Amino acid sequence: MDKLEQYLDQVCRSIGGPRSLRRHVRQELREHLLDAAAKHRTGGLSEDEALARALAEFGKPEEMRTELEATHGHRVMAVVIDKALDWKEKTMRAKWLWTTWATAAIVVVIALAVLLITGIELFIVPKFNQLMRDGLIDPAIIDEQGVSWMLSWLNDFHQVAEHATWWVLLAAGAWGLFEWRVRSENKTLMRLSALGTVAVALMAVVWLTAATLLISFCLAVPAKGRLARIFALEQIAKIDVSVDALGEAVAKKDWQTAGDHVNRASQEMQRLAEESAVIPALITRNEPATVEKRRADVKGARETLSEAQQAVVNQDSGRIQTAIERFRKSYDPVRKGAKRLER
Amino acid sequence: MYRNPLVTPRMDTELLKGTLSLLILSLLSRKAMYGYEIAATVHRETDGALTWREGSLYPSLHKMEQGGLIVGKWEEKETGRKRRYYHITKKGRGALTEKVESWGELCQAVNRILEKSDGQA
Repeated sequence: MDKLEQYLDQVCRSIGGPRSLRRHVRQELREHLLDAAAKHRTGGLSEDEALARALAEFGKPEEMRTELEATHGHRVMAVVIDKALDWKEKTMRAKWLWTTWATAAIVVVIALAVLLITGIELFIVPKFNQLMRDGLIDPAIIDEQGVSWMLSWLNDFHQVAEHATWWVLLAAGAWGLFEWRVRSENKTLMRLSALGTVAVALMAVVWLTAATLLISFCLAVPAKGRLARIFALEQIAKIDVSVDALGEAVAKKDWQTAGDHVNRASQEMQRLAEESAVIPALITRNEPATVEKRRADVKGARETLSEAQQAVVNQDSGRIQTAIERFRKSYDPVRKGAKRLER
Repeated sequence: MYRNPLVTPRMDTELLKGTLSLLILSLLSRKAMYGYEIAATVHRETDGALTWREGSLYPSLHKMEQGGLIVGKWEEKETGRKRRYYHITKKGRGALTEKVESWGELCQAVNRILEKSDGQA
């Protein structure tokens, strides 16, 4: 009678309305089918054959369900559950689908990890080492923080990555050996386990290296800020000296000397403007000015110095004085900012 | 006309569907019956000429019950099995009268056409 109950399940599960209605409909259909099967049994059929005949005469479960749903409405949840169960039944049987999917997913993770390691080795680590050579990242500061092992790790990472070709060949050899020699019914699972382990190990390397680079850089940033500030103050002092000397040379109408000073001031101003880290370093934490405003001030000062250069070539004292006044107007906020930093 | 003896003559399913409620009301006007009894009676009294998917009887019964034409009650008879017996209501009897009249008119109209077309098929 399992067949009968299974049939009734299929027909009645998704009928809408209260549970009692489903129970009544189910009972009513069961009675009918039992009567029909009994009649076929009296005609000489076996129990199974009689039931099969009764079910066939009653109609396909999908058709019955549709007709009963049209009368009583249907339960949304039951429909969703039915679809989910159907999907589960179909997909659970497809073992190859799950293993292929899992293998593909792990291979993608491994490829991503290799790509990240290559990127770090080719682009990030050389830049980091360059910053260390330039003194912008001070190993002493990192050492003071008790994380000197990070630099050792980066060094080891670099050493290992230098022999990447050999590592790849070794991995390919191990893989080939596994595929060639291993004969086991669990081979698929073994392959998945091996790939999963490799993926976890590679991702650990990626995370550790990325964290090492980030933490070391963050710890070293204050040193970089200090250097930028020192450079900015030196440039500003040089510009001050050149502009003062320019004023004196113009007063003496010594155009040759004036030309030298205005050119020097212009060069120093250009260096100040071109060093990207310098302008932000000239702003204190409590200052309302933004980096954009300070960059605009420096740009304005550079333009007035260009005008002064032209005026010196033309030996036009009046234009030089006007340019110097305009230069001071643009340049003063930059200078005042630097003075505040000195304090 | 030659008729293949291996093929059971069956009535048009659509025609049967249209007459199902009329047949049910007619049978229930005699006495209260349960689903299987209705199907078996139709089969027996028409010598199997009116045969439909037995399951489709129940949606029709339920629809008629919802419409108040019949009432279903669980009853236990001498066999000891509980069955849902359907009783025709007053509204059902009214509907039956209307349906019988409509059926008579339909039959007459169809017959008139068929008689005039006789021999031309």
